[in-house]
This record gives sequence, structure tokens and C-alpha cells, in this order.
Amino acid sequence: MTFDELLSAPQYSLTQPEKAAALLPLLRELTAHHRVRCPGYDRLLQVLWPDSRPCEGIADLPYLPVGLFKSHALRSVPEAEIFKTLQSSGTTGQRPSRIVLDRETARRQTLALSRIMTHVLGPRRLPMLLIESPATVRDRRQVSARAAGVLGMMNFGHAHAYALDERMELDWEALQAFLYRFGGQPFLIFGFTFVVWSHFLLKLAGRGVNLSNGILIHSGGWKKLADLAVTPAELRERFRRDTGLAKIYNFYGMVEQVGSVFLEGEDGYLYPPNFADVIVRHPISLEECPVGEAGLLQVLSILPLSYPGHSLLTEDLGVIHHIDGSACGRRGKAFSVLGRLPQAELRGCSDVIAAQVAS
Amino acid sequence: MSDLEILVPDERAASLDEVVGILSQPSPPRLPFSDSTVEFCAAFSQAIFQDREAARYPELAALAFWMRKAEIIRLRSDFERAVRADTVAAPRGLVFHVPPSNVDTIFVYSWLLSALAGNRSLIRLSSTRTPQAEILLRLWRQLLAQAPPEMQQATVVVRYGHSEEVTRAFSMACDLRVIWGGDQTVSAIRSAPLRPHARDLTFPDRSSLCVIHAGRYGELSEDGREKLAEQFFNDAYWFDQLACSSPRELVWCGESEPVRAASRDFWTALGACVRRRQHQSPAAVHMRKLVFACESILDLPVSEYRRVAETTVLQLDSPEPLSAEHCGGGLFFERSIRQLGDLAPVLQRRHQTLTHFGFPRLELIELARLLAGRAIDRIVPIGQALQFHRFWDGYDLLQEFCRLTYCEAAE
Repeated sequence: MTFDELLSAPQYSLTQPEKAAALLPLLRELTAHHRVRCPGYDRLLQVLWPDSRPCEGIADLPYLPVGLFKSHALRSVPEAEIFKTLQSSGTTGQRPSRIVLDRETARRQTLALSRIMTHVLGPRRLPMLLIESPATVRDRRQVSARAAGVLGMMNFGHAHAYALDERMELDWEALQAFLYRFGGQPFLIFGFTFVVWSHFLLKLAGRGVNLSNGILIHSGGWKKLADLAVTPAELRERFRRDTGLAKIYNFYGMVEQVGSVFLEGEDGYLYPPNFADVIVRHPISLEECPVGEAGLLQVLSILPLSYPGHSLLTEDLGVIHHIDGSACGRRGKAFSVLGRLPQAELRGCSDVIAAQVAS
Repeated sequence: MSDLEILVPDERAASLDEVVGILSQPSPPRLPFSDSTVEFCAAFSQAIFQDREAARYPELAALAFWMRKAEIIRLRSDFERAVRADTVAAPRGLVFHVPPSNVDTIFVYSWLLSALAGNRSLIRLSSTRTPQAEILLRLWRQLLAQAPPEMQQATVVVRYGHSEEVTRAFSMACDLRVIWGGDQTVSAIRSAPLRPHARDLTFPDRSSLCVIHAGRYGELSEDGREKLAEQFFNDAYWFDQLACSSPRELVWCGESEPVRAASRDFWTALGACVRRRQHQSPAAVHMRKLVFACESILDLPVSEYRRVAETTVLQLDSPEPLSAEHCGGGLFFERSIRQLGDLAPVLQRRHQTLTHFGFPRLELIELARLLAGRAIDRIVPIGQALQFHRFWDGYDLLQEFCRLTYCEAAE
């Protein structure tokens, strides 16, 4: 299957063997593509994978640690062809990752996201409620990771309304006005998980808001909510109880790999789309883990042409629950993300190291 | 100022004024190596040796060994021999110690030499708590409770977070300020002024390396190689390879064939030692090492990457100096030279400790003379990288903690 065929086929329709067979030649082509165009990538492969054994499966493909993009903006296009540069949000004190996109990679990214989202939203654009402040997307010259996420999602809706005001407080009037116009038909809600919980859902309790026609898509990780001991089940339950909202989809993705957008199925597991995949590796030996065993997530995507990011080892822990055995009709690997690799307490003479680890 | 705590001589919250009050109390004059100080240090060493909890931490045993009575007596006779007949060595007064937050025993070493010189000490611990430091503080309090009053008034250990006000007050009270913790800490603390007569003793960021004579390594017995690997392991892995004196780089000295053979043998022996000690770093450390290895491959002439369990080796093909950054956790650069003097081009001001095997004393002295202070402050056998010494970072610490009164009688 070609790139276009994988993209246009119904998403989540390939069995894992079919998918692996389709992705392998395309991913190998990408490795060769980046080796020719990105001298740094070629050098890394020469040193890290010196014996060029044949890749018999997608787990044999070389990968780069995602953290490398914090210090090195590797690219496979000349500077003149850079269409835009994406930056990860990065926690305080850490350098953000920088990823360069050319026009074609950006076009592929838009297309891919659309194929994933229309799978749950349907082909029509829906009225869209953003759990955001209008301030987040105002300055379009300096696009933060968060703003880029919001802008990308805005394409799937129309009549955009912001549920939060400039101070990130619930804008009750704006919410009422939106629901008055669109509450009786399907509409899209989008926000970052932590913001959705603490700035939106918690403020709605007891106010009799009806979101039962809404489809919520949220992302951004559970870390902050896990710190508050909030589980995904609790988020779902609370939305159902307080607002009647039942269609909730979390997604997992990262700036560093365009195209790897893993959306939750109705069963609460994450699924790779046709053009991406996920592998779980033992956090120390880096050998592939069997189904059911937690480890580091490696993500694969056939989208990135402008930088060598088609096979990346993340710093997130995850587990594959089953393959081609989903109850919600999706094929491929059903997995969950368990959170970031816990940071180690390091010792040493220099206080800077301690500060870096603490941040 | 609610976060200022006194930890020694007793444990309680205190105001800044209270601490400054304690420090400005008049104290009886003491000369270096007074009997009560020597006795106290010996008792401290005993207490660490006998504590069951302390027994779990090899670095605490090393500290206790270092401050055992015989060693202190030896230090005293060395010290006394070096003082000229026409000078009297005396303490500087109050020493303000700012130890690093992540090596848990430095604050005791720093205190020890300063106390032996007869100084009073104010030690600032950061808000990072470690079991090792807690054990030492507990023993310290217990011992002080039975110690003579002049010992009780001679040391105050405090803990506070980042408070400029407190640091300024302590800096204005001291006669000597000792700043560990690397470049950033030195710069930050230095912004607090001292009194005109007072001065700083600073310990900036450093890095260290190891050199082995490949031919003489080849002559070692199986046992000898195993022992050398053990000692290298201690130097490198005790503080996750992040102590400033832990080797980050292993340089082989010799012709290419013996070097190749020695290298293969050495890393295998080290791997076996890692397994014997059941040393295992958390996954995050492995990830840091992988990212750092990739960065190094892009930035340096790395020709080979080897990873076995806890050890990552990056082979370098040219004498290019390394950057100051390092990930720790057992990642080593490896390169080779023909003779010891070839080390000079890769050495920089920040290089502190050179651990070695297989070189006669004269060759090592020759290297030190060649470098002429431009790099390297310690040249010690493999296995002694972390062994604290009065000669550290180019200072004779005992001397630095003293002032000298010159005294000439009329003819």
C-alpha cells in the first residue's frame, strides 16, 4: 500500500500483520531518505547501528530518542524549504524540542489529523466549543505547542466559541450563548485534559449544564490529573453525571512526531491510525516487550519527510493490552500511556545537575 | 524566615537573629588540633562505624575511616612539621560552609578540616534531605550533647532554602566562606559580600579522567585486572559518575594492538564487576545516557558506540577536548595516546583528577610539570578518585583554614 492508500483507507481497518507489512517498506524508504538528506542522522545510524542487518520487521528499524530534538534540530530539507518550526511545550527549566516542517510534511500532517478526527466526528464540521482562553491563540507569530494544538483542532469546527475568559475563568455568558445556539445538535468540545478538568468541569457542578450532544476531544497528558488522583474513569463519570456528556476521546501525541495521533476508542484504549504504529520496549534492555508488559513507547509514523522523526523512542511508559482484539471494532494495537518515565534522583558535586533533575 | 532550621547542635526552628546571636557569642580561643577537637572527631568516627543504619552506606564508612583517630594524629604531625619555627598557625575564626546539595558527606569533610584548624563552623545545608545526611546529623547531635561546652559552641548546622537575606547575613559574619556546588552556586553565593578581611574558597565545576598504560595492564594477572576493575567501578559509579573526581574518560597509553586488547579485556572485567555488585541504574539514567550519546555522536568525532548493561563506551578518534557537560550514570569516552605527555592537548582548566595505572612516579611528576598548573589538581591511583584529601582542587585545605602569625625575637 502507498502512503495515499493508507491514508484514504478507513482508519483502524488494517489487522496488525497487514499494517506491519504495509508500513515496513515505507518506513525503510524513509530511513534511506533521511540518511541521504540529513548528514547528522546518517552519522547517528553509522555509529549506533553499524551492522546494517536487514530489517525484517518494524521493530528492527533504527530509532532516535525523542530527547535528542531538544539539543539538535535535525532536518532533511534545506533551510529555504522550512515552512514552519514546531516547538514542544517542555516543562520549566528544560529546553523545548524544535521540529522543522516543509510544506509537504505540513500538508500530510493536516491530512492525517483530519482522517483521524473525522473517524469520530463525521465528515461535517461541527460547531466548536474551545475550553481555552481566546488569548492562547491570539499571537499567531509565536506559536506555542499549546496554541499549535488548538489551531490544528480548530479546523474541525466552525462557529468557534471560547468557554474561558482571559484569566482562564469560566465565561458563563459565552458558554450559555454557545449552548443556546448549538446545544441541540452535535457539537465539538476541545481542550487540554488538565484545563478541561480544573477550569471547566469542576466549575460546572450543580449548574445544570447540558452537554449531552457534545463530543469531547482532549489531550495533553494525565500527569497533572494523576497528581490530583483523578483517573480517566472519574473524568468520564463526572462528565456524564454533571453534564450528560458521554462521547469523550482522549488522544496521545507529541510535537516531535507528526502523524502520531493516537485516539481513544470507545473502549478507552488508544489506537494507532493506519499510518502510524507503536512498539513497547523494555526501559533498560530496549528489547521489544510482549503484549501486557509495560515499557517505553516507541512511535512510528510514515509522515515526517522534513526531519528524521519517523521512528522515535519516547520517554513515556505504556503498555499494549491486545492486538486485533478490540471490542469497539478497531484493529491493530490497543494501548495505554502510563505516564512519563520517573526522573531519577542524581547525585554529584555540581548543584546544577540536582536542579535540572528537580525541574 | 520561617524555613530556617538549626540541625546541630540541637534540632529546632530558629530566627536569623538567633543564629547570628549564637555565632557572635565570644568563644574561648583554640589552636589547631586541640585535644578536645581531636577527641571529638575520633568519637564521631567511632559513632559512624558503630551505627547500624550508617553501615548501609559505603560513603559513610569511608568518611569514618578518613576521620579515625590514627589518621587525625597523622594529619596533626604532618601539619606540625610544616609550620616553621618562626610562625604560629592559628584558626581564621568563623568559617561559613556551603556544601553541594548532592554529595552527602562533603559537608563533614569540609567541617572536619576547618574544625581541626580550630575554627568555628557554620554549615548551610540545602533543602534536599538525604538519608546519609540525616544519619550524620543525628550522630552529631548525640555526640555534642555529651561534649564539652566549647565544642557545643563551635559548630552550627542550619538548613534553609534559597534565601538571599540569610546568605548575606551569614556571609557578613564569617571570616572565610567555603563554596562547593559548582559554577552556578559559586556565582550565586559570591554576590553576597564578605567583610573586607574575609575571603572565599571556591570549588567550581570540574571533570576528571583516567589513564591506563596498556602494556602494563596486559602484564596484570587475572586477579589484578579484576581488582583494578573494582577500583575503577568505585571511582565511577559511587556517585553515579557525577562526582567531580569521577572519571568520564578513559585514556589508553600505548601502541594500537596492546591498547585494543587491553580495552576489550578491561570493559569485560568492568561489566563483570557491575554484575557482581548488582549495580542497576533507574531507567531514566539509561535514557539520559542514550540521549547524551546521540548528542556526543553529533558533536564529537565518536567512531564507535558500545553499550553493555550499565556501561556505555564512546570511542573517540581525535584529541579533541570534551565539553563540560556529562550525563553521568556510566558513560565513558575512550581514546588512546602514545605517551603520557600526549594527554596535555586534551586537558583543560576544569580537569581535576587524573586517576592512573601503570606509570612510575617520575613520569607522573613530569606530566604535572608539563601542565604547570594549567590543568589537573590531583594525580592518584585508580580507586582513590573519591578519597577526600587535604590537598583538593589545588588547595592545601588545612593551610587555607589557618592564618599564620610571624614571630621574630630580637637577636
